[in-house]
Amino acid sequence: MIPPQRQIKLQIERLLCCSIFALAQTILASASDFEREVAPLLVLRCLECHNPVDPSGGLDLSNHTSMVRGGESGSPIAVEFESSLLLQRVMHAEMPPEKNGKSQALSDEEQSILREWIKAGASWPNGRELDPYERTTVKRGGRDWWAWQPIAPPVAKAATTSDAIDSIIRDSLKAQNLSPAPPADRRTLLRRLSFDLIGLPPTPEDIAAFEQDAAPNAYERIVDQLLASKHFGERWARHWLDLARFAETNGYERDEVKPYAWRYRDWVIEAMNADMPYDQFVTEQLAGDEIPNRSQSSVIATGFLRLGTWDDEPNDPREYQYDRLEDMVHTTTTAFLAMTVKCARCHDHKFDAIPQTDYYRIASSFWGGPVAQRNREWNGGPSKEELGFDVLGWTDLTNNPPELRLLAKGDVHRPLQVVAPGSLTGSREIACTFESPLPDSKTSTRRLQLARWIVDKRNPLTARVVANRLWQHHFGEGLVRTPDNFGFLGSPPTHPELLDLLASELMAGEWRLKRIHKMIVMSKTYCQSSIHPSAKSYSDLDAANRYWWRAERRRLDAEQLRDSLLTCSGRLDRSMGGPSFKAPISDEALEGLSRKGDAYKASPADESRRRGVYMFSKRSLAVPMMAVFDSCDTTAPTGRRDVSTVAPQALTLLNNEWVHGESQAMAARVLASCLDREQRISAAWRIVLSREPTDRERLASMDFITRLQTSGIAGDNADLLAFAALCHTIVNTNEFIYLD
Amino acid sequence: MNEQLFPCGQTRRQALWQMGGGFAGLALASLLDQDGFFAKQAAGSDSTNPLSPKPAHFPCKAKSCIFLMMNGGPSHVDTWDYKPELQKHAGKAMPTDKKFINSGGRAVGMLSPAVRPFRPGGESGTMVSDFFPRIREHVDKLAVIRSCFTDTHAHGSASVQMNTGKPIIGRPSLGSWVTYGLGSENQNLPGYVVMLDKRGGPIGGQPNWSSGFAPASFQGTLFRPQGNPILDLTSPGSISRTQQREQLDLLAKFNQEHLEMRPGGTELASRAASYELAFRMQAETPDAVDVSGETASTLAAYGLDAPQTSEFGRNCLIARRLVERGVRFIQLYSGGGHLEETWDAHESVEKNHGRHAGETDQPIAALLADLQQRGLLDSTLIVWGGEFGRMPFTEGVDKPGRNHNPYGFSMWLAGGGVKGGITYGETDELGFAAETNKVHVHDLHATILHLMGMDHTRLTYFHQGRDERLTDVYGHVIKDILT
Repeated sequence: MIPPQRQIKLQIERLLCCSIFALAQTILASASDFEREVAPLLVLRCLECHNPVDPSGGLDLSNHTSMVRGGESGSPIAVEFESSLLLQRVMHAEMPPEKNGKSQALSDEEQSILREWIKAGASWPNGRELDPYERTTVKRGGRDWWAWQPIAPPVAKAATTSDAIDSIIRDSLKAQNLSPAPPADRRTLLRRLSFDLIGLPPTPEDIAAFEQDAAPNAYERIVDQLLASKHFGERWARHWLDLARFAETNGYERDEVKPYAWRYRDWVIEAMNADMPYDQFVTEQLAGDEIPNRSQSSVIATGFLRLGTWDDEPNDPREYQYDRLEDMVHTTTTAFLAMTVKCARCHDHKFDAIPQTDYYRIASSFWGGPVAQRNREWNGGPSKEELGFDVLGWTDLTNNPPELRLLAKGDVHRPLQVVAPGSLTGSREIACTFESPLPDSKTSTRRLQLARWIVDKRNPLTARVVANRLWQHHFGEGLVRTPDNFGFLGSPPTHPELLDLLASELMAGEWRLKRIHKMIVMSKTYCQSSIHPSAKSYSDLDAANRYWWRAERRRLDAEQLRDSLLTCSGRLDRSMGGPSFKAPISDEALEGLSRKGDAYKASPADESRRRGVYMFSKRSLAVPMMAVFDSCDTTAPTGRRDVSTVAPQALTLLNNEWVHGESQAMAARVLASCLDREQRISAAWRIVLSREPTDRERLASMDFITRLQTSGIAGDNADLLAFAALCHTIVNTNEFIYLD
Repeated sequence: MNEQLFPCGQTRRQALWQMGGGFAGLALASLLDQDGFFAKQAAGSDSTNPLSPKPAHFPCKAKSCIFLMMNGGPSHVDTWDYKPELQKHAGKAMPTDKKFINSGGRAVGMLSPAVRPFRPGGESGTMVSDFFPRIREHVDKLAVIRSCFTDTHAHGSASVQMNTGKPIIGRPSLGSWVTYGLGSENQNLPGYVVMLDKRGGPIGGQPNWSSGFAPASFQGTLFRPQGNPILDLTSPGSISRTQQREQLDLLAKFNQEHLEMRPGGTELASRAASYELAFRMQAETPDAVDVSGETASTLAAYGLDAPQTSEFGRNCLIARRLVERGVRFIQLYSGGGHLEETWDAHESVEKNHGRHAGETDQPIAALLADLQQRGLLDSTLIVWGGEFGRMPFTEGVDKPGRNHNPYGFSMWLAGGGVKGGITYGETDELGFAAETNKVHVHDLHATILHLMGMDHTRLTYFHQGRDERLTDVYGHVIKDILT
């Protein structure tokens, strides 16, 4: 090992051979070379293992002192630079070690950077500490990753935020030589708006009224009306329930019901309808039991932490506690922060500035709660005495939870250092360690502190994440197209300025979401047609419509599809809230249950006509009609459902008995509306698609009805059956299931 | 999915994200594939179909897999793991150095030998219990693994682990991974079929054949053995096929007019095409389960003529018909519901296994023989086993049943690419825990994927920031059982 003084001496001796001019140049060059070439190389290629937390082989390459000190094999830098261990190991491709059978050897260029650096004395700027996350590399995101940067205040000068949205979109279109699509016609626009805001189609009367309304604020009035509708909360709660991995049973062996899970669902609906500020929405779900004005309602909100799967008979109860922590960490950090923190349970995050300690810092927030196996009757949560209310909620069992240790490779048998509770550290400016509670506190208050960190207006993630979710559900895709991953493996925002505009506006408006909804749907970008005259050439340039040159055509999701069938049949039961209904499921579909008969009893038919958001979700039994249309998995948070097109969907809409029943109810409405056959055909199109048929459609429909009636369908209800078949056919069209 | 070439020098992941996520990416992968499989596709299937056939990672024999799931956990010491030592220790207590979780807190009785004798079978002389006299005749086709172990002792989580790799629910099942990786050869039938026992589903239900975080198109389709095998296959009431054809023609007209006004609407065209596919499925699916055209001797061989064997026999026969039709992955359950209705022999191994082996021995033997006779055994992988094994001790003097044992159990593989007539691995002298050449569920899965031409480390699905695998970060292919 070479003492630092000797090193400096060597360097000086070497330098003395040069002219003064060259000397000055070398010093300048070596400082900048270090920052420009050496530091990035060490961070990218060495620091993953040779870091200060758990230095591989005892060698920590993050600072000068520890580098010179060296590791188990001695100092990496030798007097004769050629024999420096660091250089030797690297040149023989021993370091970095191979991974999954693939060599990780440094390139010639990388080797020469190290060689030149060591040759020149391996100078290291005074006091410089390398941070593995300090910068984004080709392999991983660092602290300079866009999502960790402060939200930029809006620069656009526009009359309204909607105008500002349009101006950003227009500028980016211009830069690509694209122009936006023409405005959508009023019927299309109203259908889009109505499905987006309340999840239901408008009635033919609504459309007619809107088409005839010449007032300049006709559209805005409808926007306000729909935002105020009680159905708004039902629609937007569904999006949140996907993120909260909402289901009403535990899964596993017994798959028992989680009592009162539906109250959490109702809490979300009410919060959406009341336009609860998003910071409060976050805080109550994480810490509704810890807030000063705690109430039954805020404790119900903590059901968020209870909704995960729960195995009442885990193989290794000690290990299972950590699985439960992962569920809570994963759901919390995905839903609110769009960061894949769970990846850091076993090791530092491979792609983002999330050290393993961050995982445990967050996990410690939940460590004071009932994560251990206790009385099975409490379903993995606190008892009602502990909670203070007979609801599905969460609370700490102590104000001083046992210490939580970081587990090497996530292995419960290999605990390492104690981790102090705290926030994520990707942004150092806002990172914080949680404080101990006051002695008289019932809980550790860690969840409250976590919530406060999340909703801190300086937190660069929270407002962006939720603003992106709103955009996504209005446009079909987010500005960040990976809504649950703002990290390195996600996709960066297509319009960063726009994302920050929405995020800033959200916070400036006291976190009220409806205001942002309105800004978005009032924009011209939202109101444009999904059909563009230059679609063909534009698709070659931007097939994914990332610049928003037209509205994105979207397939209705499972709930929208079901609810609109019920709307068209006139049988939708609009009553809100309360215990869920159990959808009728055929005996064949029930065969998958290990306990037949007693495990699932469908609700009476009249109760089953409520909206899909009130449908009971049992983890061991996916409702076939919903599952086939891509309703989401309930074991983990989902911010974006799959959209698949497969033949079983066609079979469901063609043959499912319930769909036939609703079609018949539509036909009954058709028959009741008029007597003339031609008028009835028009009525069928109006009832199902809220429009008149085209001439070709009218003729084809007429022909179809005539042929059905001459080729078999007869008797008292021949008309009903024929028109049911027509309605059923229209229900199966692309127009019914795709929203323009 | 394997790393394939993507345009513009992008990585697969970049291409996927730019396409807007996993599902579209799959379609892209199909589009880009230059292996000429479009020609091989069943008529009418289109490139956006996630189940279109895809090339394997490397050449292999097995094109289909039949997984015979012995739900409830068969006792290995009474079936495939011959333990003469256990006879010597009969009536003694379990040695105290053998630590185990006593599942369900049941009574721990004394060590007890196999309830039925073992005899050598075939040229290999592999010892097989008298519970399986008929399969024993085919033992030269089998690679019996006697050193399996798993992570959990409860049915719900162990069954989910055997199917998805982990004891927590929410991950894609083996059949989903296989159809995700390879697609299916016949687009008029589901690519991944699950047939349950009439007595009920496995504990845990749907997560056992779920596609978890992968798209729903890859989930298992429950198939019923008679009539209409899948849900909503035919219209209710009196609507005839002719009427439905007329309806579909009308629908096609409506969709065509709609599409004309929306040029470039590929998703619309693709959905319109799915109706034609559905129409063909309606014809082909019932035919797949219609065994009336089978010869009397075939029906008898599978045991359809005897009440005890007729249900599982029919399912085995249908499995063969599905293999013939190009279905990729088929899972048959023996045992359904709870306790003695499954292989969960707490009360009496003789009584329980006598019943369940009695129902399955002849059908499975017939399946092996029939596949071989038709030249299909080489291209079909057969897997037999349950979610765990059972303890070498009983549950008490009057209770000759055995409790759950995740530490050691047996499974066997046969067919495409499997070396027959061998045993692999060993449990300890009592048959309590796997000891030599231990095979974890991950290893078993890695091996099954390998036999189907896929590298388990390359078959990945990008989900929530991670390239997920069936085997997570584990799994080793058991090379010794490969031909």
